[in-house]
Amino acid sequence: MNLLPFVASGLGLGGVYAMSSVGLVILYRASGTLNFAFGAFACLSAFLSWQLIQEGLAPPLAWLVGIAAATAVSFAYGRFVAPRMAHRDRVVRAIATLGVALVILGSTAWFWGVGISRRLALPTDYSFIRLFGVRVTGTHLLAIAIALVMVGGIGLLLRYTRIGLGMRVLASNRHVSALIGVKVVTTDSIAWLIHGAFAGIAGLLLADLVRLDQAYLTFLVIPAAASAILGRLSSLPGAFVGGLFAGLLEAILTGVPALNGFRSAGPYVAALLFMTIIGAGRGVGANE
Amino acid sequence: MTDVGKSGVLPVAGWALDEAVARRFVAIIAVVAVLTAIIAASAGGYWLSNFTQAYCTVFAVMGCALLYGQLGLVSLCQWALVGVGGWASLRVYHSFHPPFLVSMLAGGVIASAVGVLWGLPALRMRGLYLALVTLMLAGAFQVVIAVTSFPVGGPGFLGQVGADGNARKMIARPDFASSDTAYFVFVAIVMLLGILLVEAHRRSKPGRAWALIRKNELMAAASGVRIVFYKAWAFALSGFLAGVAGALLAGTFGQLDASAFPASQSIVLFIGTLLGGTGVWLGAFVGGVLTQAVPALLTDFNVNTYVGLVFFGLALTHALMVAPEGLGGQLTALAEGLRLRFFARRPS
Repeated sequence: MNLLPFVASGLGLGGVYAMSSVGLVILYRASGTLNFAFGAFACLSAFLSWQLIQEGLAPPLAWLVGIAAATAVSFAYGRFVAPRMAHRDRVVRAIATLGVALVILGSTAWFWGVGISRRLALPTDYSFIRLFGVRVTGTHLLAIAIALVMVGGIGLLLRYTRIGLGMRVLASNRHVSALIGVKVVTTDSIAWLIHGAFAGIAGLLLADLVRLDQAYLTFLVIPAAASAILGRLSSLPGAFVGGLFAGLLEAILTGVPALNGFRSAGPYVAALLFMTIIGAGRGVGANE
Repeated sequence: MTDVGKSGVLPVAGWALDEAVARRFVAIIAVVAVLTAIIAASAGGYWLSNFTQAYCTVFAVMGCALLYGQLGLVSLCQWALVGVGGWASLRVYHSFHPPFLVSMLAGGVIASAVGVLWGLPALRMRGLYLALVTLMLAGAFQVVIAVTSFPVGGPGFLGQVGADGNARKMIARPDFASSDTAYFVFVAIVMLLGILLVEAHRRSKPGRAWALIRKNELMAAASGVRIVFYKAWAFALSGFLAGVAGALLAGTFGQLDASAFPASQSIVLFIGTLLGGTGVWLGAFVGGVLTQAVPALLTDFNVNTYVGLVFFGLALTHALMVAPEGLGGQLTALAEGLRLRFFARRPS
């Protein structure tokens, strides 16, 4: 059987997962918080842009406003709420982000209503390339490209700049980093700002590629977490590859009739096997 | 507190319980009995069905609270275990048509075994990694159950009947609790037994072992606590509670709907657990009612359900920042304060 067409469509889905998992790992690397509200930030950005476009605003401006809103919410959470839980262990900090996720999910669902078919179109939808006879749209390629640029950019930031060094120290041990003079609040805030902006961009692309639906976008964070696990939660290129792998796995399972129905479980099963056999417990902060 | 001498010890199911514990048990029974009587007497139809579901959810929350409160383990697959228990009890019922109680216990035992299996990674992982493993399990379960669905009395292992809706069979409630009100009281009694089971564990050897493990695993091992055994026991007990919850839910409707078991519901259940509080039994009760009944009641009052979600989120943030003992803990502290003020004969 020829699986190549499925590989091509898997690249599209892989782009979606790669983008979300890179988004998760960026913040985890920079501040030690696994943000379950990543999808909710993305959802806010997508819905706000959609609304503004409906109101007649020029699309590029609407996208910017959406991204700005996600950035602002992320910053506000990271600056005013997250520090008050900084002394709790990692898992509690991750669970706490579910609070803001529910608030955003609830308010967007309340304001915009659920179950209504909406469409957020990007101009890149209309250009495509043919790969193994499957159309891969410009938006899919854009998602992969942006994820790659983020991996490279953040990688360089973490590796070569003062602020990046601060982020790495902060993620490793908050108390010690404060002791040795890292500006904890500033560093943390920058991490949340970058994370929020990325969530905003991801939201626009995901809403276009998958669905403009509150619960779907919010809980897209679950397969994204699976992809991030495949990158050991700590490696940015790992998260990117993990995302692509998860997407490819799901698409290739579509081509296997016996497993077709179970294809969405692919990323979870892969993550479970990865964690139990190889062990993800050696990444950042694993000794906590 | 009187000396725990010969007269103060009540041997209950092999556990020695002193007077304070006995008093606590009586208080639990009294509170649940009064609430259940009020609801059974006044609520009907929609509300009764919702409170029955809420009581079933209390079961699932208890399992979550046990793992988090006693061992500090975050399990995000508890609602999936409810699904496992529901599936198993329906499977057993449609295969052998035993009395409801037998299907229910079978669901509990099978979910308990699955819970131990799913908890195995916990023997190696802790904290965030365990939370993620369990979340992945819940995600995988969501996909699998959407494909296999719950048995409805059809042929084969999966028990499906295809498109023929008339061929769907329901699980029968117990003979003595076939009406909605009687079933609600039945669920309340089972729930009470569950609460007492957990309390008995917390106040005896397993509870002390868990407390020590939570404090420091090496220390626990050094003092002779069998860590693997007691961790597995906690997972077994919490799986059992979730499984019974699944069977009771199946009994409420006669069948279960696969779409009711998304991974996100396991997350919501854990949030409900934190809001209720994991330190006291009342926490699980409050958590279950918050998770299940409040959204449904908001709908009944024509308030948008999503407003409830917003409050849920805010309450979670608040609870994590300033009230780690949860609503249940706050209520218990209030009750204890009132008791000391008005009824205390001796300082305790």
